[in-house]
Amino acid sequence: MTTSTLRALGHRLLSVVLTLLGLLLLTFVIGRVMPLDPVLSIVGPDADRSTYDQVYQQLGLDRPLPVQFAYYLRDLLHGDLGNALLTGHKVTDDLARVLPATVELATMAIILGTGLGVPLGVYAATRRGRLADHVVRVISLFGYSTPVFWFGMMGLLVFYAWLGWAGGAGRIDLAYDGMVAPRTGLLLVDSALAGEWEVFRNAIKFLLLPACILGLHSMAYISRMTRSFMLAQLSQEYITTARVKGLSERGVVWGHAFRNILVQLLTIVALAYGGLLEGAVLIETVFAWPGFGQYLTSSLLLGDMNAVMGCVLVVGVIFVTLNLLSDALYHVFDPRTR
Amino acid sequence: MNHTQLLRQCAISVAVALALGTLGAVAQAKTPDDQLIVGFSMNNLLSLDPAAATGNDVVELAANLYDYLIELDPQAISKMQPGLAESWKVSADGRSITLVVRKGVKFQSGNDLTAEDAAWSLQRVLKLNLAMASPWKSYGFTAQNVDKAVRATDATTLVIDLPEPTDPKMVLYTLATSVSSVVLDRKKVMENEKNGDMGAAWLITHAAGSGPFSLVEWRAKDALLMNRFDGYWRGPAKLKRVIMRHMTESQSLRLMLERGDLDVASGMSVPDIESMKKNPEAVVSPVRRGTLYYVAVSMKDPKFADKRVRLAIRNLIDYDGINTTVMPNYGLPQQRPVQMGLPASLPSPGYKLDVAAAKKLLAEAGFPNGFKTTIRVLADPPFINIATSLQATLAKAGIEASVLSGTGNQVYGAMRERNFEILVGRGGGGVEPHPHSSLRALVYNPDNSDAAKLTNFQGWRTSFFSPELNQLIEKAEVERDEAKQTAQYQEAQKLYETQVGAIQPFSQMVDTVVLRKDVRNYFGHPSATTRLRDVSKQR
Repeated sequence: MTTSTLRALGHRLLSVVLTLLGLLLLTFVIGRVMPLDPVLSIVGPDADRSTYDQVYQQLGLDRPLPVQFAYYLRDLLHGDLGNALLTGHKVTDDLARVLPATVELATMAIILGTGLGVPLGVYAATRRGRLADHVVRVISLFGYSTPVFWFGMMGLLVFYAWLGWAGGAGRIDLAYDGMVAPRTGLLLVDSALAGEWEVFRNAIKFLLLPACILGLHSMAYISRMTRSFMLAQLSQEYITTARVKGLSERGVVWGHAFRNILVQLLTIVALAYGGLLEGAVLIETVFAWPGFGQYLTSSLLLGDMNAVMGCVLVVGVIFVTLNLLSDALYHVFDPRTR
Repeated sequence: MNHTQLLRQCAISVAVALALGTLGAVAQAKTPDDQLIVGFSMNNLLSLDPAAATGNDVVELAANLYDYLIELDPQAISKMQPGLAESWKVSADGRSITLVVRKGVKFQSGNDLTAEDAAWSLQRVLKLNLAMASPWKSYGFTAQNVDKAVRATDATTLVIDLPEPTDPKMVLYTLATSVSSVVLDRKKVMENEKNGDMGAAWLITHAAGSGPFSLVEWRAKDALLMNRFDGYWRGPAKLKRVIMRHMTESQSLRLMLERGDLDVASGMSVPDIESMKKNPEAVVSPVRRGTLYYVAVSMKDPKFADKRVRLAIRNLIDYDGINTTVMPNYGLPQQRPVQMGLPASLPSPGYKLDVAAAKKLLAEAGFPNGFKTTIRVLADPPFINIATSLQATLAKAGIEASVLSGTGNQVYGAMRERNFEILVGRGGGGVEPHPHSSLRALVYNPDNSDAAKLTNFQGWRTSFFSPELNQLIEKAEVERDEAKQTAQYQEAQKLYETQVGAIQPFSQMVDTVVLRKDVRNYFGHPSATTRLRDVSKQR
């Protein structure tokens, strides 16, 4: 590795750290300015002054803001995000519990979204202006503009209540709850590792509906983007040349044009995935899915700053990582960026 | 394949799918016979520690994980029944209560339960001085005097000396209703003590009781599992397992109840409750609570310090409209600070929306064209709907009110700071079925100075200060003659009416629980101590 590469890497790392630090500082300040009183959430409306003051001190809120932030950073360097008021546990333990639930949901959703969105986008691009293109546009417009919670409610009504295909609220039937010891926290993976195929099937039954609904949203976005990337490529001269050379249409579309949009596509899929991880809030509420989105919202409503800052850090790290990853992919696949 | 073929194939697969689905739906899923599955929002459940946990949800859990010394009959709320205490006696001067604790009771850990455990549990609440110490501090108990005041004289005798004169009945009611009164397994808790915290950190997520169910696991904002404790002193519960699920979406609750995946649901929205009333598989059960829905004004604001303006506001609440359109399934009409159903409760004063009278009063007070103000309110139903109704009726008398909605923290936080004008809220003690409980919370204000910071008294928060009322409440509290006491409480309510208090109740809270038809012996308790030990399913 050359010195310049090392230096570039160093710069990159520094900017990542600074970004995360800025994010934390901003969240911390906003959190303290917000008219939310975590003490009140803990002691309830009927507690008297002495109890209130005691808890206020226990939480360290009597210290000046910069000192509080400094302590927070010091603990953070030791891998300690503090305790969550919401659960009484360490924030790191909580995140380790709620993140896998959302990762499982978002991963399934992005697989469905990409698996359907990319072919649909390519298909629409190759049939530009024709019926198929319009149909795909209507589908993606519908998928993108309809609120996710409405889909959630309708999905529950039709596939859970009427048809009985999907599991209801939650991650698994209560009868199976706790049957598989958590290893990764991903229920599908854990049950497969344990060889508990009943549990696996049940988990799939609960996962599919919310994942499809969440996936529909990203499918809409991915198919629109794929279409426009493909159109840009299909109008290029090398495509015409390839066609003139007598290459089959399939070869032109998938072999030439599609290969060239792969990197761009990876970027938007990565960002869509990040968005899903953070934005599954509504679906998690409708489906009582014990994930990151629910955790973040309830911590926010409670003014539980340790938990909120832990969540912000996670979201920040996810986006920074995804960005780095897509940059690296550009670097690998696109010689012009080297 | 051409388009027509494709369409036909699609249509066939959809039809087959629908047919299969309908068959599937006929063979409906059902919860297991010996397990109870309950869905409700666990948003307010932050801790299971009886010394720290606020709110009704934890009371419902504590009533099944732990035992109380005294219990109240869910059907006749002021009737006391033995719990861990076989019997109790109040001394002639009303300053000491002696309870006889049952012999042979075991904790879930296998340890013996004694009067020492009961004394220690109460002492712990005051020594930690967390949220649930409030009722005890109001009776004069402190971290310093509690070791002397609450003591076990032997393994079966618990003596509670009252540091200040108060109605011992009120203390007995607190023993029966407050989560702080459950008996903890001292040994087990102290095994988990850290840095002298008397097990506080451990008890947030664990339980150490003698109740009919033992805690298996609590995953915050997800699920709570309890298993039957076979060694329970009353005999094992009928259910083997109770599972509580965190569910915030009313419609998801309804769908799961309809499908038979849930047995009990609470916190459902009114349209969903209404729809469940028509479902032959469900039973809708309203449970009356002691807290009241009210309109409060701040008397720190000079406008509202004027009695005529307060009276005008009292005339500008659409009691009938709110109670018939907004409050069904949330509350029952009640216009007095003392909850209904007690010996001292009075018939309704019959306040009605009277715009003309309000206008006249406002003109007399120097506001012929009304004024501008703000209404603080929780953003959730029914609060926001009440505020909208109030906004409309205030406007009829020229009062232009903007509605400021927010979370409980924001709304009640402003009230604690005495920084509001009008507030639509809910509160007012009422957990103990005793007039003092409501009056202390809503009316009583021993020191109206800002520095006093009596934020736990809503009277202080509204700056309503009436020395006569304070005296009357204090006098009634220590009156030992029941008939006289009742008369004094009635007098206090009448005085509150003529003085036009800052808090105007219009409805008493109702919690609606929806059950599957096959659930037996589920009695929602007005104090939230709903006990599941006799609940079963008949199929």
